[in-house]
Amino acid sequence: MNNKPGILYLDDEENNLFSFRALFRRDFDIYTTTSAAEAIQILRENDIQVVLSDQKMAEISGVEFFELLRNEFPDPVRILVTGYADIEAVIDAINKGQVYRYITKPWNEQDLKFCIENAYEKYSRERELRTKNVELEKANAELDKFVYSTSHDLRAPLVSMLGIMEVLRVEEDKTKSREYIDMLDTTLQRLNEAVQNIIYYYQNARNQELLEEIKWEFFLDEVMRQARKSWQGVPPTLNLDISSSNQFVCDRHRLKVIVLNILSNAIRYADSEKSEMWIRIEVIQNTEKAIVRISDNGLGIENARLNKIFDAYDGHSMSGGIGLYIARQAATKIGAELHVHSIFGEGSKFTIDIPNRI
Amino acid sequence: MKQFPNTRILMVDDNDIDIAVNRKLLQLADITSDIRSFNQCKKFFEYLDSEDGGAKGFAQIVLMDIMMPVMNGFECLAQFDEYPADFKKNFVIYMLSSSIDRNDIRLAEATPNVRRVLEKPLDIYVLRKLLEQEGLRAE
Repeated sequence: MNNKPGILYLDDEENNLFSFRALFRRDFDIYTTTSAAEAIQILRENDIQVVLSDQKMAEISGVEFFELLRNEFPDPVRILVTGYADIEAVIDAINKGQVYRYITKPWNEQDLKFCIENAYEKYSRERELRTKNVELEKANAELDKFVYSTSHDLRAPLVSMLGIMEVLRVEEDKTKSREYIDMLDTTLQRLNEAVQNIIYYYQNARNQELLEEIKWEFFLDEVMRQARKSWQGVPPTLNLDISSSNQFVCDRHRLKVIVLNILSNAIRYADSEKSEMWIRIEVIQNTEKAIVRISDNGLGIENARLNKIFDAYDGHSMSGGIGLYIARQAATKIGAELHVHSIFGEGSKFTIDIPNRI
Repeated sequence: MKQFPNTRILMVDDNDIDIAVNRKLLQLADITSDIRSFNQCKKFFEYLDSEDGGAKGFAQIVLMDIMMPVMNGFECLAQFDEYPADFKKNFVIYMLSSSIDRNDIRLAEATPNVRRVLEKPLDIYVLRKLLEQEGLRAE
């Protein structure tokens, strides 16, 4: 496709079409026809930005033709070509917003070219505005979902704590009280995690990269300890398998956000029905990159949800709150790729592909 | 003497802590001693399909959490709606939410069999009033 503006000209006098084409074929991508039906067909099949039409035609007037286009092709800019006699119809059409400009016949080449170029510019500006609007709407919707998810992630542990406080207040048995205090502790950790995620989100958007060397065993142990805090009961057993041939450098903080959120989910959505719950972390690393695979035998994710888990909000399921959304944001920032594979009922496997910044 | 002797309370919530706390609150308030809990929708349906779930002669009050992984409260109730009307009429359903969201309330209103959305933490006073409205109080 070329970059010349697409111009359509409808006129029932072939001579006009002929001279129009001769004048502008170097400047524009020109389509001409004497039939309104064919003109509509051309609009359907081609990328047209400006439409010119003669006003006085045997089968249909130019204003009527533009009226036909309004619903199906609202975007191309319309120019009416007319003799002085039709000036009333032209004024009416302009006032109703049906045409952008009119050109009187016989036309002046320079004026006509200028008029078409202006019309094309108007088209481009409007298209840019439409694109910006779509982007803005998208950003707004994303923000909405983020706020929805976040408020739930914050509120859920908070109301749990309110409930625990209520029973704790009347519990006289010391051992039982102790259990409720443990519950408070777990829930408080969950709240902390939610607040931490908001901070991560905020920092990820703004802060620059901070490169540090990663000692895998030490790093994974630290992250795992943190992930376990918001879990009550026996956590899944952890298997580590690290094969690293040399130094590995990346933005440690962001990598931690990614791994922590994946691990938290693996722990939170472990399948207590299975006799042995496990999480396995496998690291394969060389001078170029590291591949971290985190697999578990948890609840797994249904196929229909799999491609939505990294969104700020996935329908009404809230699989991981905003955790995985933040993980994806952090991954994008450090040039890492994040993939998930899961079999519902069997478990999930997350793969992080991180470039080595050594 | 329990205040609602002919009721069984069924809690469906993925959060074990919330289940433990709500169970305690229900016990403290002496609503009923017949309380069952399910931390996955799957287990709730296993119960419904069991002999126990189909038992008659008492009302089954469902406290269904909205936000759950795998199958959320709305999806769970969509599946519940497939049971025969004669079976369903024995159940009184409330949905529980920790963030009262207008969309959730609208969805709940449009969900068959749901009485209303209750805010977490469970307010026993409100629940008691609602159960009284259902005509479930002891003679």
